[in-house]
Amino acid sequence: MSRIGGLRPHVGGLRPPAPGFVALGLGALALVTFPYWSRDWESSRYATTVLRDILVFAILALSLDLLMGYVGLPSLGHAAFFGAGAYAAAIASQRLETEALFVTLPAGVLVATALALGIGLFAVRASGIFFLMLTLAFAQMVFSFAFQATDITGGSNGFAGVRRPDLFGISFSAAEELYVLVAVSFLATAFVLWRITRSPYGRTLVAIRENERRMRALGYDTSAIKLSAFALAGALAGLAGALSAYSLRFVSANDAGIGTSITVFVMVLIGGAGTLAGPAVGAAVVILIERVLNSYIPFSQTVLGVVFVVFVLAARQGVVGAARTAWARARG
Amino acid sequence: MSPELAFLQALNGISFGALLFILAAGLSLIFGMMDVVNLAHGAFYMLGAYVALSVVRTTGSFWVALVAVPLALGALGLVVEPLLLRRLRGRHLDQVLITVGVALVITDLIRLKPDWGAEVRTLPPPDALAGSIAILGNDYPVYRLFVIAFGVTLALSLAALHRRSRAGALIRAGVDDAQMLSALGVDTDRLFAVTYATGAALAGLAGVVAAPVLGLQPGMDVEALVLSLIVVVVGGLGTLGGAQVGAALVGPADTFGKVFVPQFALFFIFAIMALVLLLRPSGLLGRIRVIR
Repeated sequence: MSRIGGLRPHVGGLRPPAPGFVALGLGALALVTFPYWSRDWESSRYATTVLRDILVFAILALSLDLLMGYVGLPSLGHAAFFGAGAYAAAIASQRLETEALFVTLPAGVLVATALALGIGLFAVRASGIFFLMLTLAFAQMVFSFAFQATDITGGSNGFAGVRRPDLFGISFSAAEELYVLVAVSFLATAFVLWRITRSPYGRTLVAIRENERRMRALGYDTSAIKLSAFALAGALAGLAGALSAYSLRFVSANDAGIGTSITVFVMVLIGGAGTLAGPAVGAAVVILIERVLNSYIPFSQTVLGVVFVVFVLAARQGVVGAARTAWARARG
Repeated sequence: MSPELAFLQALNGISFGALLFILAAGLSLIFGMMDVVNLAHGAFYMLGAYVALSVVRTTGSFWVALVAVPLALGALGLVVEPLLLRRLRGRHLDQVLITVGVALVITDLIRLKPDWGAEVRTLPPPDALAGSIAILGNDYPVYRLFVIAFGVTLALSLAALHRRSRAGALIRAGVDDAQMLSALGVDTDRLFAVTYATGAALAGLAGVVAAPVLGLQPGMDVEALVLSLIVVVVGGLGTLGGAQVGAALVGPADTFGKVFVPQFALFFIFAIMALVLLLRPSGLLGRIRVIR
């Protein structure tokens, strides 16, 4: 697994923003306004949908990367919180007969957080491969519940007709507006995680990954800290889930299933764990393979499987890690 | 519930436990020996069931399938281990990813093969075991009794092999300290390949034996994988006894859970897993601590 890149000392002070930040800001603006400036393209609508789905999964992959890349906890059950967030937002909207974003979105995030606290209580006491097995098993329980509790979740038929939200009179029902909501959420998530990973708290997480025993000896309650990271990752996964429910207007039990868990796990590893750009790149690669390839050939899942194998054998640091190595080599 | 019905349900539970043992023994063996969590285990199980379907269709004999399928899956394991897993020793996440990749390819190919396909299939039990007999005034399928007998026989013979044979001694030594075993001149590359093949063969065997009871359908791979993970976590990782005890507990628990709380049967076995982990972090018979 790649080490954390870019852990440079944080330089504050009153300086004009570096060119990198200006470029980043312009890039963010371009991302958020994509459906508007691409409006004249023939495939603008399709591209907006694909990009929206990539961003939803990028949020999910970023949240998992907090666990995998920083705390060193490889969760193979992260879809449980994604699914919980999606169902909670959808059900809150249906039962309370509201489209208010400030009701349904927090419902999704809170339910996912509570679930993560419950599962995390057990899971974070394990590490490495045992953590992976426990998260997988617990997530499957959430999936089975969603699959079987037909009166609450719609069971195997899924939960159809999720209403798109509005916020103080602004409606996100049109495709462009919903895209903006997703893109802003993605940027906010990336910003929050960027701040967190560079904060003292974030360094504590990395230190626990590197040597948990030592951190315990130093007086840190490592279980509680890991649980907090697990809950935070769950909360962000719940956010992604709620956004997915709004986007697709549909929640499937498979959203909480192992297929989704594996997909997001692979996104993080393919893009490069322990980086912030990696999970987003991984999300783009996997969604493009699944979406675009799937419309040309019937065996896209096989291609995906082969891609994993090739990545494991050839590009261990992920796309971003490999690009960094190449960049460092090019600069000498 | 009447005592007769409870007894029949107990038989169901024991026969499900016998299936779980066959399934989990392979996973536990691979984990204990090679320190690999083989997430392709469920896919091997599924492949075993579908290969059995084809064998029965061509030869007309369940018994041929019972022998041929473990051999076929063993051969597959002998290819997968040296080709993909050998160079990843000690790299857990990479192993996870690569076994997931293998599982994706296998399940996708099963889905695409026209006479296997994406729909529910059934495999009838062999004629000799097709009927049912009267137990306490109720008809009970003979095949389930066969499953119990088969599972118990397999458990006993594996235990005997484990304790008495040279292969068993190598396995026990390898689980304890594979590096030391290698230093003593044992070819661990070969041992690991054979271990992985045996695990795959056991998964395939479980697929054949389970097919007449549980049927063949998409998603059976994941169900099998999760159940076998629970069994080994409850029983204790890496030991044969752990798989036996875990299966003996989870099988009946799942069956009675489905009878009493059909909506939440899975919670029942997960609750057992959580309880075991809290009280005995290394599982009932294991030596490796799962949680702190």
